[in-house]
Amino acid sequence: MMHALLPIFQWFSNSWMGLFIQRFNWVFPAIEAVHIVALTVLFGAILFVDLQLLGLMRRDTTAAKLAQELDPWVFSSLILICITGIMLFSSEALKLYGSTPFQIKMAFLFAAIIYHFTIHRWVANAKAGSLAPIWGRLAAVVSISLWLGVGLGGRAIGFF
Amino acid sequence: MSVRTLTVSAQIPEVRHGLAKRRIVLLTFGTIASLLIAAGVWILAAVLPSKTGSPIAPLRAICDWIYQTRTSVAIRESSYAFPLIEGIHLLGIGISVGMLCWFDLRLVGVAMTDQSVSKVWKRVMPTAFVGFIVMFITGGLLFWAEAATAYNSMDFWIKMGLLLLAGINAGYFELSTHRHAHEWDNGGILPLKARLAGAFSLLLWIAIIVTGRTMAYSF
Repeated sequence: MMHALLPIFQWFSNSWMGLFIQRFNWVFPAIEAVHIVALTVLFGAILFVDLQLLGLMRRDTTAAKLAQELDPWVFSSLILICITGIMLFSSEALKLYGSTPFQIKMAFLFAAIIYHFTIHRWVANAKAGSLAPIWGRLAAVVSISLWLGVGLGGRAIGFF
Repeated sequence: MSVRTLTVSAQIPEVRHGLAKRRIVLLTFGTIASLLIAAGVWILAAVLPSKTGSPIAPLRAICDWIYQTRTSVAIRESSYAFPLIEGIHLLGIGISVGMLCWFDLRLVGVAMTDQSVSKVWKRVMPTAFVGFIVMFITGGLLFWAEAATAYNSMDFWIKMGLLLLAGINAGYFELSTHRHAHEWDNGGILPLKARLAGAFSLLLWIAIIVTGRTMAYSF
């Protein structure tokens, strides 16, 4: 299946963006800096709601209220992460083609994004009392695990 | 303006729209700030004379000693220990700064404006504190493994300086500005000192994260 995707990796690798980032050695770390700052915001926003779902936070607000406040932050930081992520990807696309951590990260990433905007959003926005707390806790644990997989997978790309 | 009116106004479409606009402005500003800081650190690390380290020269012997201890060699030579510790370190950033930033953004006035400062503080700080402990322990281990390399890295010293500044900023806020927090709970715009503390904290933590990343390239 990976084989069929090779042309996409090659196209990115030959794109002007990939070549531009490769040419100057300071561009990659600079883009990576934005990538990491934005993902700190994303992880923080998701963790905030998940800790509320887990019941580890003060009970004077609901997960639904927090999610409503923080979802725009999740969305906008995710867009920023994707833009910088694609830029980083295009600069070393062919190296990533053979990278197992990258494949693991992408699998976690797609799962996490789909999960976040479907099941997670539905559970977090559920009216108080309409769902047993155990479902909220379960949703939070799955959410944290998926995003953790994305983060650790991403870090592993640089090492293995 | 009371908390009540703020809560109500946050639900009015125009106000929500205004918040969305501010959020995009802030994220753009954060992106530019991160890029500028990365460039600044890059230039600073290139310009400052490294390896002479005259005021901190006695530390060299300590760093060299740490570098040759068994624990240091073990972490450094293991193919899994270093990446794993660094992964946990990164997770620590996500927990600590990821939570702290909501308090800072509340101080600046762009997030959670419908909740009082003290409420956001009580909600955010216990988790952020756990994150900071994780980060300091793993950061200490990473330093232990690469002490001699870190000593020679200008980025490392810049990062330590920034950490010190973040500590001073937080300490000053805690001991002086935060004392008046009970006066802010009836809503409205916070005093300039509080907004500046939030902005400085955000910028410093961005800079610390960026320097941490560029440091790895200088190793």
